[in-house]
Amino acid sequence: MKDFLRVFFSRPIPLVGLVIFAVIVALALLAPLLFGRGPFIIVGMPLLPPGAPGLLAGSDVLGRDMAVGLAYGARISLLVGITSTLCAVGIGVLLGAVAGYYGGWLDDLLMRVTEFFQIIPSFVLLMVLVAFLQPSLSSTVIGIALVTWPQVARVVRGEFLSLRGREFVQAARTLGMRDARIIFTQVLPNALPPIIVVGSMMVGSAILTESALSFLGLGDPNLLSWGSMIGGSRSAMWVAWWTTVLPGLAIMITVLALNFIGDGLNDALNPRRRR
Amino acid sequence: MEPLIAIKDLIVSLPPGADRAHAVDGVSLSILPNEILCIVGESGSGKSLTAHAIMRLLPRGVSASSGEILFEGTDVLRLSPSAMRKLRGAGVAMIFQDPMAALNPVVTIGKQITEQIRAHRAISEKAALEQAAGLLAEMGLKDPKALLKSFPHQLSGGQRQRVMIAMALSLSPKLLIADEPTTALDVTTQAQILKLIKRIQTERQMSVLFITHDFGVVADMADRVAVMRHGRVVEEGGASDVLGDPKHSYTRALIAAVPRGESMLQPVAQDAPLLSVKDLAKNFRRGGFFSGASAVKAVDRVSLTLSRGETLGIVGESGSGKSTLARCVIRLLDPDAGEMLFDGADIAHMGERQLRPLRRRIQMVFQDPFSSLNPRQTVGEIVIAGPRAYGEDMKEARSRAADILRLVGLNPETMHRFPHEFSGGQRQRIGLARALMLKPDILIADEPVSALDVTVQAQVLKLLDDVRQQMNLAMLFITHDMRVAAQVCHRVMVMRHGQVVESGPTREVFAAPSSEYTRSLLAAIPGRGKLASV
Amino acid sequence: MNRLSYIGARLVKTVLITIAVVLLSFFLVRLAPGDTATVMAGQGGFADEAFMKSLRAEYGLDQPVLVQLWKYISAVAGGDLGNSFVRRQPVLDVILERLPNTLLLNAFALLVAVAGGVLMGMAAARRPGSTTDASMTVLSMIFYAMPQFWLGMMAMLVFSVWLGWLPPFGLETMGADYTGLARLGDIAVHMILPGVTLALYFMASYARLTRTAMIEVADQDFVKTARAKGIGEGQVARRHILRNALVPLITFAGLQSAILVGGSVLVENVFSWPGVGTLAYEAVTTRDNPLLLGIFIVTAVLVSLFNLVTDIAYSIADPRVEQGR
Repeated sequence: MKDFLRVFFSRPIPLVGLVIFAVIVALALLAPLLFGRGPFIIVGMPLLPPGAPGLLAGSDVLGRDMAVGLAYGARISLLVGITSTLCAVGIGVLLGAVAGYYGGWLDDLLMRVTEFFQIIPSFVLLMVLVAFLQPSLSSTVIGIALVTWPQVARVVRGEFLSLRGREFVQAARTLGMRDARIIFTQVLPNALPPIIVVGSMMVGSAILTESALSFLGLGDPNLLSWGSMIGGSRSAMWVAWWTTVLPGLAIMITVLALNFIGDGLNDALNPRRRR
Repeated sequence: MEPLIAIKDLIVSLPPGADRAHAVDGVSLSILPNEILCIVGESGSGKSLTAHAIMRLLPRGVSASSGEILFEGTDVLRLSPSAMRKLRGAGVAMIFQDPMAALNPVVTIGKQITEQIRAHRAISEKAALEQAAGLLAEMGLKDPKALLKSFPHQLSGGQRQRVMIAMALSLSPKLLIADEPTTALDVTTQAQILKLIKRIQTERQMSVLFITHDFGVVADMADRVAVMRHGRVVEEGGASDVLGDPKHSYTRALIAAVPRGESMLQPVAQDAPLLSVKDLAKNFRRGGFFSGASAVKAVDRVSLTLSRGETLGIVGESGSGKSTLARCVIRLLDPDAGEMLFDGADIAHMGERQLRPLRRRIQMVFQDPFSSLNPRQTVGEIVIAGPRAYGEDMKEARSRAADILRLVGLNPETMHRFPHEFSGGQRQRIGLARALMLKPDILIADEPVSALDVTVQAQVLKLLDDVRQQMNLAMLFITHDMRVAAQVCHRVMVMRHGQVVESGPTREVFAAPSSEYTRSLLAAIPGRGKLASV
Repeated sequence: MNRLSYIGARLVKTVLITIAVVLLSFFLVRLAPGDTATVMAGQGGFADEAFMKSLRAEYGLDQPVLVQLWKYISAVAGGDLGNSFVRRQPVLDVILERLPNTLLLNAFALLVAVAGGVLMGMAAARRPGSTTDASMTVLSMIFYAMPQFWLGMMAMLVFSVWLGWLPPFGLETMGADYTGLARLGDIAVHMILPGVTLALYFMASYARLTRTAMIEVADQDFVKTARAKGIGEGQVARRHILRNALVPLITFAGLQSAILVGGSVLVENVFSWPGVGTLAYEAVTTRDNPLLLGIFIVTAVLVSLFNLVTDIAYSIADPRVEQGR
């Protein structure tokens, strides 16, 4: 653990990522306290530039406060990013572990399924899923989890497969340990680092996917998200750059922070860097 | 005579943060025309980096920081990159340990040879191919024309190394550097390649710098020997002097540690066998759907018996099925057919539930000291895992662990440390302690010393034999090395292609082998009969 | 396992994936609330029980699921993807009309991405840890973090709105009625912004992958052998390092094509490129489910065909496929 922290903070990039991410999380959590009236309230003239009285980030096409929208948008992005990743990681680890450790027909089946998901255009499938389920927060989360779990399963399966063949796991079998004990004490602790790294990267890409869905009008119509802010301001882009630039920057900075953290985790959890 | 190459006070520095500053620390050596110099040493001695420094092929971050390497009077270390390029391949050529890794997997053999010729000589591809075919024939390879069109993965290990040698010789270099060229090969192939290198050296009157860890190989190859340790040359001299009358204590220890390939052990009195295996078979399926599945008989109707207090050696080259056999006996693999009577019960097809109480009585020591211990558990956790799995009390297990660690020669206070803090030999001791904690009746040792340096190897072999005696174990010892088998086994069984070729008391098998294959294995032991008893 | 049987196996795989796509689509239809009849009736603004029943009978919705599945599969196999609710035309015809534009855009983007990415990756791998390498790593991380549609909008803002260098919308200039070469040139100019936007993300992944592959290969023994042979550095890099590093890149191009299609939906929309992507958006906004599903089937089949092509290319590039990898 000490080694882990030392390597993680030995470069500026993960630290910067962590600080930015903490700020965004704080903003998302505090949004209802700071801007209790919610993001849909009209506060003034439409398309006022940033810096106009009382409007830190200007106003949008309908005269709503962009700053409030940005703060509330963070809630949606983080909520979707984190919950969909948790679902995907949960399914992926469970199936990947069983397939990788036991092999056999289950493994064959899982490999076919993950190959299938690798080859079909998953964003188009996601559009179909969300459109057919009716756009809502839960259909976004379910849809993203459904098209991304195979990635996790592939990684976990690969790790379990290679660890299963390692001599220390074979030794555990000859010692008479039961399968569950071997999986939890011998295999899983060694498979965790790549799972954590993949998970941290997936949060970022889930946020990007959510923004793309809302941009296309497939987000929850009752919630304001960064993607829908951009989608709703397309016509105003020519005259009011801030309406599209600012939410896009918000997405980029959030995802970048997550990827920085993922990069640091990758380094810190990589045993080759630790010695 | 003027030396062909003279290394003077060579220092090779490691990047900052390495465990020491210099990998090669003031080495001076020279090689005369038409001689073979063997540099011998254990891992970390700097022998390989010395060789790489001559070619200026040191790994990134490692550099020759001072000294000179004079090749025909010119300092190689100060050559311009283009002059160095002209020297490589033409003046000095090099072959490596693993020929599979040393050949480009996606380029044909022919192309790989001709590109070297054409990098130095202005001749056509066709002429270069002709020349390459001639070289391959000189290396004793059949059908060179077809070989030129094939890719490395289509060749056997021995063929690949012959191709490497042919390539190295294509421009008739004055010096051939061979960096452990036979370490990755089976013993019979090793003998052929050694003979080949010796033959071409004599025929072409060239110099060879031969890097090895094996004094047996030194005895077969060297005109002169340099012994290296910790980056320095500790002893140097003519082969017969160094081998016959080593001056330095380290050289003496190294030579003494080499197993001689002569059996010293008497067969023990055979009680009723503890384990008797009959007609055991294991097949592996390969291929799929389109090519049609084919079964490989990894173990083909093998029978054996094992009694308390004795060590049975199972000897064979790679692909002989010896490891598969061991994994069937300990039921890491399920045998396809045959029976294994252990204490009266047939464990060959027993279900996992019934097998579990018996598992603790058969234990195993694994080959790779780096992958056989869980890197995320402490030594203590590793060693008590077995007893804990059978519900033994934690306190009780810990106190027994201390005793067992002492037994295998480790300080019990190291229990809270992680495996990566230990050397290869110490890790094998931890692995042995883990197995012994369950008080087994049978110990299976799968190549337990093949990844270790020769001096450490000798210690671990001795430990295994001591433990066997003290605990009255029956031991199944898997090895590819006839010399090691001779040292610790009462009886041996020679395997090839999944079948038993020959078996019997070690002394008899070594003195009068009954099969042609065993004879060739024995004949292939490097340096047999040439090492003095020190 | 020789190359032919390898290709045979891949062919079977492509067919199986196609079948799986059709099966999945069949069940996706059932995901939507209400069946086709309610939706049709809703479109007609008229829903009486008898009419619904006749609609269900007409569409076979009153039959067992397996019968419906069989009918669906045979229809799809015959190229019948149903009719668009909104356009009242066969879905396949609507898609095929737009498909060439999307293929053009994607082919261009793939070309730019592969060429640019490999060159950038090679430059970064030349000296790992150098300024070039570090700045390329940071740059690709930034590209990874940008929503692709937003990147397109920013490009439009800069190059069309502010600088006025490139046309912001469409496939060609409306009403200009160019012909021949002039028309091709006009389309090419229109393709630059959407094409490069679409390419940038993949260029970043390609650069990273090339870099990793080159560095990994450069550490292999056979590269040391090549240097020991006295070959020039250029040839070592080309024949030995790049040649081996390219092998994983081929497979990667196939896998990336699925993501490329997803990106295409967004980028086409931003730049009003009249392709399948804008069609998908129209299908979403008009709730034209058969059309949306048809787009999924067609793009999925195309991507798996493209993967078949890259698999074949891979089997030529890597002689080791015989070993049954």
